[in-house]
Amino acid sequence: MQLNRRVAFATLALLASLNVSAHAILTDSTPKANGSVAAGHVALTLKYNSKIDQGRSRLLLVAADKSETPLAITASADKPNELDSATDLKPGAYVIRWQALALDGHITRGDLPFNVTPAP
Amino acid sequence: MALLVDIFGYLSVILHGLVIVAQSMTLGGLLFLVFLLHPLSSRLVQGDALEQRIVRLTRWSAWGLVLAELATTALQVSVLMSTVDLPFSNVMQASFAVAASVKILCALAIAFCLGQRTMARSIPRTLLLLVGLIELAAATATTHAYARLDDNTLLMLVEGLHQFGAAIWIGAIPCFVVVLRHLQDADGLRLVGSRFSRMSMIGVACVLLSGITMWIFYVGDAQGFYGTAYGVMVGAKVAMFIGLLGLGLGNFLVTERLRKGGDASVTRMRRFAEVEIGIGFTIFFAAASLTSVPPAVDLTTDRVTLHEIAVRNAPAWPRLSSPDHDTLAISQLQTQLDQDAARDHQVTQSATTPGSGILPPRNAEDIAWSEYNHHWAGIFVLLIGFLALLSRAGMRWARHWPLLFLLMAAFLLLRSDPEVWPLGQEGWWVAWRDVEVAQHRFFVLLIILFGTFEWSVRTGRLKSERAALVFPLLVAVGGAMLLTHSHQISNVKDQMLIELTHTPLALAGVAAGWSRWLELRLPGRGGRIAGYVWPACFMLIGVILLWYREA
Ligand SMILES: [Cu+2]
Repeated sequence: MQLNRRVAFATLALLASLNVSAHAILTDSTPKANGSVAAGHVALTLKYNSKIDQGRSRLLLVAADKSETPLAITASADKPNELDSATDLKPGAYVIRWQALALDGHITRGDLPFNVTPAP
Repeated sequence: MALLVDIFGYLSVILHGLVIVAQSMTLGGLLFLVFLLHPLSSRLVQGDALEQRIVRLTRWSAWGLVLAELATTALQVSVLMSTVDLPFSNVMQASFAVAASVKILCALAIAFCLGQRTMARSIPRTLLLLVGLIELAAATATTHAYARLDDNTLLMLVEGLHQFGAAIWIGAIPCFVVVLRHLQDADGLRLVGSRFSRMSMIGVACVLLSGITMWIFYVGDAQGFYGTAYGVMVGAKVAMFIGLLGLGLGNFLVTERLRKGGDASVTRMRRFAEVEIGIGFTIFFAAASLTSVPPAVDLTTDRVTLHEIAVRNAPAWPRLSSPDHDTLAISQLQTQLDQDAARDHQVTQSATTPGSGILPPRNAEDIAWSEYNHHWAGIFVLLIGFLALLSRAGMRWARHWPLLFLLMAAFLLLRSDPEVWPLGQEGWWVAWRDVEVAQHRFFVLLIILFGTFEWSVRTGRLKSERAALVFPLLVAVGGAMLLTHSHQISNVKDQMLIELTHTPLALAGVAAGWSRWLELRLPGRGGRIAGYVWPACFMLIGVILLWYREA
């Protein structure tokens, strides 16, 4: 049963990538892709070209050691095309693995790699 | 994995295409019944029986819509539930799921309530139209327009108008074909023909008006048109739209002549309408694949420039000699692995693992290998088109041209997967696990089948009229599939440049398939002309293939 569930989930995760190039694309972000920020409490902003269902999207922080931490998304009605979050980060290389559900139902995924430098 | 994702991506486009087809047929059937057949049915000889047929067709379309929409929604909902870890009740409140539920309910209402009794009374008739309108509104909530940052209302109206136009024009053609087949008297034909041609003019106007607006908002400028996947797909849609307009014009002339009491070919109108269905549905699948790419205006980086297109397409001699198999990236990697294994006294590893989905390495020789394959395939197709032309012109021996397909199949089987037996060292059976290899083999089988088939038809071994239609249908469907293949590959620009040659190939395939269909089904001059058109399309495909370059 447990194993079956896992196989089913793996298959579905695969299906999720089905709109890899679907229409929600990242237009801007803080930090920028491959950019760097100072360690400490870091605000994260991902901006898209279309309105995003913030409650049904996901941000996952992947650290250099491959550990994954889900990030809570701050819902804000006045920024309908953004996924915002904040977290405390130590220096190192990170990737934000995002999955956005556009209001029209298209699921898009992508990676946002960036570096955290020691605080000045 | 990547390959599987590709296949599922393709599946979602196909499902979406089916939704669009079913939706237009449902709405088109409804409009055809309410505005054409029901008002006219008392004046038609078999009016009642015809109405019954169209009611049945529309009900079936509504059931098709229920099924297709259920399938797409189930896919999306389960993906969200598992990847974002949300319960079913939550996901069903997402706007796309709400819209899908509304669509399904509307389709169910049409499937259950549509009948001659509801058609006969004006209030139920109007209510059904209203249900259709609600379905249309829900459908626009799953288009790009709903998620745009600005101008949502305008864009949604425009998307609604676009789908309405498509329904009244293309979605209603199957009804028209059914009616034409059963109507015998000239009076009835005149009535139905002229009213349908007026209805489709409204449809064309809606499509045109909304299409131009969408162009402004989604494509933007010239570079958005030629430099992005979105623009290229729009271009393909426009090309097919123009083709449809030509056929529609032909039908319009027939109905005008009929209306003036003249004598005109109803057979031609029927055949043209059949082809319109085929091309129209191809447009629907192209539209479905459009929703899976970002609108061109949003894709401001990674666009292909005119210069890049010019460089890629600069004239060059076809590659008629193959690079040595040993110089391919996989062969070289294998040699390396073999040497390592010999040195360390270990069992040799295989350079590729079939079915792993890890893209094999690629070097300049690999590109040359692929181009060589395309170029020789181009020569085969060019020759096929040329022989078909000779055969059309009366040279009897040339009718054996389908046998060339068998040669081409053998060539492809040998060369399309160089890492596999007999050229590579991977076994024939093991390689089935690789999706791409399996796809290639399936394709080769298809070529063998339809080559043999067409040869039997040409040489009179197969005499059935239906058998002859298999070849054009396969060619047209092949073209449509090439048009809607998913657009995912790591290097966006490279993919785009390749796609720029694939789209004309696909369009030529669609044109070839349907003109061969006309040659078979349309007696007289029209059929004869079509008989020259499709070999010309084949020769064009050959030339494009000879022109094909990957770097
Ligand atoms: Cu979209």
